Amino acid sequence: MRNLSMAAAIAGTILLLNAAPVWAHHAFAAEFDSTKPLKLHGTVTKMEWINPHAWIHIDVKNPDGTVTNWMVEGGSPNTLLRNGFTKASLPVGTEVVVDGYQAKDSTNRMNGRDITLPDGRKLFVGSAGQGAAPDEKQDK
Amino acid sequence: MLRQSLLSVCIAMVAGAQTPPKTDAGQPDLQGIWSNATITPLERPADLGGKQTFTAEEAAAYEKQAVARNNADQRGTNTEADVAGGYNNFWYDRGTKAVGTRRTSLIVDPGDGRIPALLPEAAKRAKEKREWMDEHATDFPEGRSLGERCILWTTAGPPMLPGPYNNNFQVLQTRDRVVILNEMIHDARVIPLDGSPHLSSNIRLWRGDSRGHWDGSTLVVDTTNFSDEYSFRGSDRNLHLIERFTRTSPDTLLYEFTVDDPTAFSKPWTAQIAVTKSKGPIYEYACHEGNYAMTDILSGARAAEKKNPK
Repeated sequence: MRNLSMAAAIAGTILLLNAAPVWAHHAFAAEFDSTKPLKLHGTVTKMEWINPHAWIHIDVKNPDGTVTNWMVEGGSPNTLLRNGFTKASLPVGTEVVVDGYQAKDSTNRMNGRDITLPDGRKLFVGSAGQGAAPDEKQDK
Repeated sequence: MLRQSLLSVCIAMVAGAQTPPKTDAGQPDLQGIWSNATITPLERPADLGGKQTFTAEEAAAYEKQAVARNNADQRGTNTEADVAGGYNNFWYDRGTKAVGTRRTSLIVDPGDGRIPALLPEAAKRAKEKREWMDEHATDFPEGRSLGERCILWTTAGPPMLPGPYNNNFQVLQTRDRVVILNEMIHDARVIPLDGSPHLSSNIRLWRGDSRGHWDGSTLVVDTTNFSDEYSFRGSDRNLHLIERFTRTSPDTLLYEFTVDDPTAFSKPWTAQIAVTKSKGPIYEYACHEGNYAMTDILSGARAAEKKNPK
């Protein structure tokens, strides 16, 4: 019984820890607009390995045939490297689908909520954590 | 303090420390790249009550559940929560293990594993500061946190604590100086060991003025002169921080710190982290380099004002 209640306490503790605000370099909610969800199909033109967060640049073809370059905010370069994400992971020319939210100032910047590759692999989402390569899961 | 020192010695003995390696100058060698990543929280969660230490089985269960939760898709239930929680675990480099001592909190004193209550005046100051930050959150950079401004990070220290990523620091020594390079915000702290006194009390530094000395095999670092704008868990300019670094084995370093601030906390408090050797390297984290977020946050607020003038 005692073990059971301690197990429950530990489980409860985990819940408490995870209920805490998500913690990162800056508040995404202050930068991106929850009323402007976006799903863009584009081609990678550049990845900026810069601090505090990496930015992925993609060209997106508009319905009228013109092309707009969008910037997609990613994670800390140090962490991406340690988690197995390298320069070779997202080469120029890769076609991606990006789900995210547009910047509040309505410029062509967005957060990379989900980034999906042509073969269905998703980068970043629900990945295996420490030391893991980019997630291999298929689209849900 | 005596109790904590004795505890440290005991941990060092348990860890099998005999003769720590020495530098060419004959001082204990603390050099190397170290990681303080752990899932053990600073404060003991309230529902663990008086439980100070996990059994091995409980620690394993705790680690398993914490890792599983951290790895779960953090998608929010609505768009607001989704934006706020837009980071999933791939972007983090958190610990996956409880501290080696299996303590349920990093705080070892007081015994309840919790930060002692702030004194009424300190609580009032903290509340006023929060209110000011809320009021000016998007007015100018100074309304954002010091971390968002890339000035300093709350876990980079001093004192140093585990954070979401960049949980690495490197120690470099000469006879008269110790340098601690913290990966987070890329801070290098140069600590004189030459017996020189602290700076004049009217000189205030973001991360304080650190002076070190050897207490047997332990490096003791004493830091005062913190900036008025720096607050560690409610501390104020009178914060007196004492850190202790003890090499407990080739691959472990016991890091302890005591927060003593008689105008902020009802009593001093002490935390301990069993730090482990990191394979490295430490990467630069030049935070200002591409901190587009700061301009995005402010320009987003200006755009909103244009759309909905007050």
